[in-house]
Amino acid sequence: MSKIKSLFESGKFKSAFIPYFTLGDPNYNDSIEFGKTILDNGADILELGIPFSDPVADGPVIQRAVARSLKNRFSFDEIFRVTKAIHDHKPETPLVYLTYFNPIYHCGISKFLDRAKESGIIGLVIPDLPFDTDESETLFRELKARDMDLIHLVTPASEKKRIQALSKTSSGFIYYVTSFGVTGERREFSVDLQERIRFLKETIRLPICAGFGISTPDQANQISQYADGIIIGSAIQRVIEENGTDRSKAVSALADYISKIRAAIS
Amino acid sequence: MGKNLPGYFGEFGGRYSPEILTEALEELESTYQKLKKSKKFKKELEYYLRNYVGRPSPLTYAERLTKQWGGARIWLKREDLNHTGAHKINNAIGQALIAKFMGKKRIIAETGAGQHGLATATVGAMFGMETVVYMGAVDVERQNLNAKKIEMLGAKILPVTAGEATLKEATSEAMRDWALNVSTTHYIVGSAIGPHPFPTIVRDFQAVIGTEARSQFKKQNKKLPSAIVACVGGGSNSIGMFHAFLKDKQVAIYGAEAGGLGPKPGEHSATLTYGKTGFLHGTKTLIIQDESGQIVPAHSVSAGLDYPGVGPEHAHLSKIGRVDYRMVTDEQALDSFLEVTRVEGIIPALETAHAFHVAREVAKDLGKKKDLIICLSGRGDKDVTEVLRLLGEKNK
Ligand SMILES: Cc1ncc(COP(=O)(O)O)c(C=O)c1O
Repeated sequence: MSKIKSLFESGKFKSAFIPYFTLGDPNYNDSIEFGKTILDNGADILELGIPFSDPVADGPVIQRAVARSLKNRFSFDEIFRVTKAIHDHKPETPLVYLTYFNPIYHCGISKFLDRAKESGIIGLVIPDLPFDTDESETLFRELKARDMDLIHLVTPASEKKRIQALSKTSSGFIYYVTSFGVTGERREFSVDLQERIRFLKETIRLPICAGFGISTPDQANQISQYADGIIIGSAIQRVIEENGTDRSKAVSALADYISKIRAAIS
Repeated sequence: MGKNLPGYFGEFGGRYSPEILTEALEELESTYQKLKKSKKFKKELEYYLRNYVGRPSPLTYAERLTKQWGGARIWLKREDLNHTGAHKINNAIGQALIAKFMGKKRIIAETGAGQHGLATATVGAMFGMETVVYMGAVDVERQNLNAKKIEMLGAKILPVTAGEATLKEATSEAMRDWALNVSTTHYIVGSAIGPHPFPTIVRDFQAVIGTEARSQFKKQNKKLPSAIVACVGGGSNSIGMFHAFLKDKQVAIYGAEAGGLGPKPGEHSATLTYGKTGFLHGTKTLIIQDESGQIVPAHSVSAGLDYPGVGPEHAHLSKIGRVDYRMVTDEQALDSFLEVTRVEGIIPALETAHAFHVAREVAKDLGKKKDLIICLSGRGDKDVTEVLRLLGEKNK
């Protein structure tokens, strides 16, 4: 069984907390500190963003993070170095990458996966690679051979037939996109969120984690009553943006925010 | 969707967009399949093309250019004479009709030179649809006349300041808007780019250019031309011009892409020359990118060619060698702009000026008694201020 799936079945938590942040914002070495802080304060799984110049599924906060990151010269060596450092700090917490497909394709799928695995990555989320493409099938096979997961996104617009088809090539968990649009903090969620998640749990035998738009402890608490996990990106990235130039301030603000969310979903 | 299914041109194309858009793309695909066969839809489209756009556009024999260049006879397919001054309206009308049929009340678009934004704002006004146009902040400046027209037509312009603040960023922003408003909104993609079915839909609506040109030429000359030329940004006017001729093996086909300031990364938009296979804006195609797969900013003097990707069908046509794609620098385009204006009395768009440069090379190579058709994709009124500014700089 995949490491991620067994973590969910271990009973360590009722609902997982899955924070996200972009590597390299404002620089690669600070990312290591941010990663460690997030792990120390209660991440169950950590999503690391590999910056891509054209993040079409992301809202303004993450777009700005990516732009700041890319002001540093982008290099896969740096990405893997930082990932390894974060992984070594707390090897028992699963790390997954979130990125767009173009950088992976360009690096070469096998080469990318080998290096990602060596650095401690056990899964991938790729918002612009639908499951019904040849590339996704190849990727799924290559991941499986390395005991890694392909985490697919399901949205409020995904139809039943598609969800059933998608369950064949997804593993780890399902990333349920709580609302229409792109990443970013939101005040409200679609009214049928709970029903959709229940339906997904019945259809796909994988943990269903909800993301896109969640930012407050209250929201996290509420959604954790029925989702297997809560994914938060933009709100964390904003903490980094607001304090990012001062590493120690950013670290303490992150610690504060992460522990509050963790406490809210226990 | 495997490679053998529709949506791919050889290895290029497909649908690589966020999951939230999939249902809308499938709805668009099936609606379009239905409408394509519907007599009523065809009649309505033809009605607007004839009575609103002004089709068929003339095929003009360019006597003075022919003499000046001293080679093949030059013919111009006059998309500049369409309402709103470019080929973009052919596609905007077609897609607005699809949107109307699907019951969408709001249309959005991206624009570089402003011609597609203008076309979309125009059909938005005519059909009474709420219209939003995303335009890079840099392009709002350099194509200010079009930006002003778009607003005058009642559409809203949302300037995009991210990145290079040009067409690539405007396209990303329009995709994000669509993801948020997908149930009420149709995204009228302006070139033969984007996730399936957009490259096919845009190609089909623009194919009228080549279909008309081919039959007009044949009727007048009882034969086919030896060569055709069009400029390639995303590639809609060119694929529209090429489509009807692809099977005519005796017709040589040329595409002109923006060589910008030179071959250095960041200084051109020559995707077919320097691009590598990748994934951008929902399609697998050739893209100008660095060794890590980050998209490199494009540059062209013409806002409409300033895009680091290209329609997937062009990537395929380039790979199989059916079309000869050539680079034209900013300076060569500017020279052609002035030459055509003075010699033929037609001010072409800066985008189109790239095609004229390639046409001059090809006309010489072909020699006399051969015929060459250039797709005159749009008129250059929008570029006059920018050209004057560039000439002023040059003469300093
Ligand atoms: C007059 C004109 N020609 C050509 C283009 C390039 O677009 P495409 O390559 O899609 O024809 C534009 C785009 O704005 C344009 O305005």
